[in-house]
Amino acid sequence: MKRLSQLLLVLTLLATVLVACTSGAQPPSPSPITLTDGLGREVTLAAPAQLIVSLAPSNTEILYAVGAGDQVVGRDEFSNYPEAAAAIQSVGGSMGDYNFEQIVSLKPDLVLAAEINTPEQVKALEDLGVTVYYLKNPTNIPGMFANLEIVGQLTGHSAEVTALVDSLRQRVTGVEAKVANVTVTPRVFYELDGTDPAKPWTAGAGTFIDQLISMAGGENVAASLDGSWGQLSQEALLVANPDIILLGDAAYGTTAEQVSARPGWDAIQAVKTGQIVPFNDDTVSRPGPRLVDALEELVRILHPELK
Amino acid sequence: MELKRTARPYGLALLALSAAGLLSILVGSVPLSFKDLLDGLSSLGSEVENTAGTILFSLRLPRTILIAMVGAALAGSGTAYQGLFRNPLADPYLIGVASGAGLGAVAAMSIHWSYTTLGLLAVPLAAFISGLATVAIVYALARVGQALPASNLILAGVAVSSFATALTSFLMLRASGELRRALAWLLGGATMSGWQPVLALLPYWVVGLGILLTFGHALNVLQFGDEQAQQLGLPVNRVRRWIIVAASLTTAAAVSFAGIIGFVGLIIPHILRLLIGPDYRRLLPLSLIGGAALLLGADVLARVLLAPQELPVGIVTALAGAPFFLWVLRRSRQANFWS
Repeated sequence: MKRLSQLLLVLTLLATVLVACTSGAQPPSPSPITLTDGLGREVTLAAPAQLIVSLAPSNTEILYAVGAGDQVVGRDEFSNYPEAAAAIQSVGGSMGDYNFEQIVSLKPDLVLAAEINTPEQVKALEDLGVTVYYLKNPTNIPGMFANLEIVGQLTGHSAEVTALVDSLRQRVTGVEAKVANVTVTPRVFYELDGTDPAKPWTAGAGTFIDQLISMAGGENVAASLDGSWGQLSQEALLVANPDIILLGDAAYGTTAEQVSARPGWDAIQAVKTGQIVPFNDDTVSRPGPRLVDALEELVRILHPELK
Repeated sequence: MELKRTARPYGLALLALSAAGLLSILVGSVPLSFKDLLDGLSSLGSEVENTAGTILFSLRLPRTILIAMVGAALAGSGTAYQGLFRNPLADPYLIGVASGAGLGAVAAMSIHWSYTTLGLLAVPLAAFISGLATVAIVYALARVGQALPASNLILAGVAVSSFATALTSFLMLRASGELRRALAWLLGGATMSGWQPVLALLPYWVVGLGILLTFGHALNVLQFGDEQAQQLGLPVNRVRRWIIVAASLTTAAAVSFAGIIGFVGLIIPHILRLLIGPDYRRLLPLSLIGGAALLLGADVLARVLLAPQELPVGIVTALAGAPFFLWVLRRSRQANFWS
């Protein structure tokens, strides 16, 4: 027994010496990056990723914002911001269907997935030998900052992210300070899709739309909606009587004139006063740094009196 | 001479299947030349990383095989059901397996599963179980004592299917975030890549289709009507039970991994009947080959029509299959093609 422990001791010592020697002899290599992703998977990169495929518009926006735009070699069909992203190879994504062949042939060292991707897709890519990081949707602004930091780490841009988050945080604080003293909180209806004006789609509690409207000193009339997204009946809308209507579906051609002309809508305060404002839905539906742009834009619309 | 006449349709069908299979392996969003194919082959088993090899063996080949198996399963079950119910509108989904599977799949999608093997297989498992359960309910509702009247089965199938479809729509509206995924699944197409679905489907496919193939003669006798068949010594209810069990197993397994692909199970039996006549001993095996070839062809179209975007294959089978079917129908110039 004693002999065995002695042997073990010698072996351990030997091993330590060996490890020390080899590590001393080799040039310092970048330390591997290990992070746990949104699915609870442990993802390890030998070095910051240089060939990245983004599977969601929000991810593409984050990658560019943290300064990793040059490292993006593939993007999903819907990534249209910033403009430079349009020039990058699309890997599909409409109907939730990605082109795995294309992804594999790009030989990425990192695929940045998002919550619009299914765990099955992550597994399939993993089986193809691709490193995937699944970036979970943030539920609030600090969560979005945390996502920026994760992407910064994965891509080797941590320093830029620190500066970016600082400036974003300052802008949020600035808004909070301004809004703190408002006396009126306008009621806001955010229209996602008004194809059927009798029950337009809108966003309820738990969405960034709802949060940002509150942060900007407003009240989302659909906050009590059961579930994050849903159709509000026109009757409920008449009762809620919003002061402002935001057209998140402006990009699909909905205009203030069309809304005013909808039968029965003329009884709504916002229609009477002409407070129907087109809104860039991409800034609120994609959980990336442009959420802060959206917040500032909302303050401008909801409280024009604040300078 | 006689042998040649019997063998010819098989030869032609196998030729079509080989052509479709080869196209399915060669055509894709990333162009692969014949040389890439050989390079991929030579890299098999070696540690060298080879993109062409990965695309071929981890993406295209398993997909080609899965699609072929699903096509065969749907067409084989469709042929058996058309014979069993003596109804030209019968398809493998007639007594509820697809609407049940759809309900199970969409329900599973509305739940957040953990990233484990079980969680990753939740959707196909739920689809499979719920598809079979739906058929079992229809079966129980349709049964009258020992008898199992075909009209009862069809009516109960339609009613239970509507119920399940309504529940599915409700779930889809509630879980609006997963709407696209659910819709894509319901329109059909290979939803999982790799060899896992092929291996999971294989046992049900072999057993189910194996059973169906032994019922060619029984289906021929059934065409005289239940009473006649019974008098000719055919245990009608037992035959019906076996065919339903075998077709449901096969279809439920196929649907679990490929979603609800319409039309293949409906038109292949008709096309074959027009071409080679109503003998189920030949219709059944030929429908397996024909179904595989047709679905492979549709899948190739789904990949190239709007490339690099992929269409759900269910849309293509109906869009391309319906005109093709009508063309075959018109060409046959038969006043009553159902015979």
